[in-house]
Amino acid sequence: MNLGISALDYIEAIKNGDFTIEEFVFETFDQIKKVDGKLHAYLSLNDKALDQAKELDKKRKAKEKIGSCMGMPIAIKDNICVKGTKTTCASKMLEKYTAPFDATVIARLRKQDALFIGKTNLDEFAMGTTTEFSAYGPSKNPWNQEYVPGGSSGGSAVAVSALESVVSLGSDTGGSVRNPASFCSIVGFKPTYGLVSRYGLISYANSIEQIGPMARTVKDTAFLLNVISGIDPNDNTTIDNHGEDYLKDIDSGIDGKKIGIISEMVGKGTDNAVSSATKKALTKFEDLGAKCEEISIDMVDYSVASYYTITSTEAGSNLARYDNIRYGFDFDLEGYEFNSYISKARRNFGPEVTRRLIIGGFVPSAGYAGKYFLKALKVKSRLTKEINSAFKKVDFLVAPTVPILPFKFGEKLDDPVAMFLIDFNTVTANLTGKPAISVPFEISHGLPIGIQIIADAMQEKSLFQAAYALESTTNLPKVPL
Amino acid sequence: MVSKEEIEHVAKLMRIELDDHTVHIDRVQKMIEYFDILDKAGTESEELIINEQPLENLREDKYEPYGDRLIDKLKHYKEKFIRAPKMV
Repeated sequence: MNLGISALDYIEAIKNGDFTIEEFVFETFDQIKKVDGKLHAYLSLNDKALDQAKELDKKRKAKEKIGSCMGMPIAIKDNICVKGTKTTCASKMLEKYTAPFDATVIARLRKQDALFIGKTNLDEFAMGTTTEFSAYGPSKNPWNQEYVPGGSSGGSAVAVSALESVVSLGSDTGGSVRNPASFCSIVGFKPTYGLVSRYGLISYANSIEQIGPMARTVKDTAFLLNVISGIDPNDNTTIDNHGEDYLKDIDSGIDGKKIGIISEMVGKGTDNAVSSATKKALTKFEDLGAKCEEISIDMVDYSVASYYTITSTEAGSNLARYDNIRYGFDFDLEGYEFNSYISKARRNFGPEVTRRLIIGGFVPSAGYAGKYFLKALKVKSRLTKEINSAFKKVDFLVAPTVPILPFKFGEKLDDPVAMFLIDFNTVTANLTGKPAISVPFEISHGLPIGIQIIADAMQEKSLFQAAYALESTTNLPKVPL
Repeated sequence: MVSKEEIEHVAKLMRIELDDHTVHIDRVQKMIEYFDILDKAGTESEELIINEQPLENLREDKYEPYGDRLIDKLKHYKEKFIRAPKMV
């Protein structure tokens, strides 16, 4: 059985009766048993998945209709609530937290009979780009286990790449879906802000983050978006997409389209291998009939500072709830005064979360808000204007997803500014609310490189068309497992 | 340059104890220093974009009981009250 098939091929195979859902799910767990001891994609597994698979097979045998996902295995980042399962955010703080409800995306996938295989590893509370900040140990890149898989949705990327699930969900605050997708050679998509409900996604920086699908093909990400997108009364920022079908006409091509290469994102700091892959991608776009030109977006140079100022500030309030009273550890109340009790519990945050919370208290504080937080918001504002005017000239903006190749564990751990710059090409889409996708494009010396395409808000349909066209020009090797 | 004392003061307000990790302060200082680049952006005159939501877009303000008793999931509670440490 080929565990590396796409979600759409899996669904076709189930319809044709090539194998049963139970058989496929069994093989998937077998694969997890084989590789996850080394790769550590998962934090917990759904021990009912096989029974649920059997149940779906039974329904199919009895000619009952089942949902469009047909028992498709999906892995879920462990900051998204699945009712009755542990949802830890890879933090000691939520070690014992069991979600009492389904996130909206989970409810929608459940309705279409997707099968939840397990919860995947991440940097604690999604703050990081390598999974090295997970309280439960990092995930490993299946392409080379000495290298980071990217993050924060590293576990979700590894699960799909290492055939431990067909597809997965991640969340993307500053590149957390696209970065690990690029590092693990899979497709990762961050929707327009508001297209996918955040209800049940544990908040980090709620004004810019989105849940996004991760998959082996562009078509699979479009299919998943069909299932999870749309208005939700439980998330007031959601947009009505009128049941748009993102798969329809995905093969329309990009003949005659205009593409802008963001010059700030291919300049200094970009690895040579990444630069040359980007140039090749642009040639491919031109071969497909698109016209490419360089576009300068001045504010990109300030985007990372703006991003970290805004996200830390929002994290400061979003993580205030971990006070050990409503959420957190359970230790006895006796002998503590209110403040010392809460401070003691908050020691259970890991190092990166602790640092971001301090920054999050500092940059919007009296005396400093004008210097940091307000300026960050102004940069965000100006950046949005610049991007909007770019989209008056071109249909898509293109850049490498990450300016550098995957790197070894520990390499950047002690240099916070080097860590910041990994996000240089991805935060713009979050700050401006635009949709962006990372398409696997090349393997250079055994390490994956992804190309990022950004479109204007709610232009997902044409974004998928461009991504599909680029994907069709590639022929990548299989992951060396 | 931001002083260590200022950072320590904010850490306290964020309810984070720092007695055993001065290493955090050094790194936070480095991170905040990087943000000084914002001074060069030249966006002082920029107006902020504010997203407005018309009231009719909000969902109806009505009480919907949750079903399960969520309070049962906590360790320290009595009837329908959460127990918290003493305020001194």
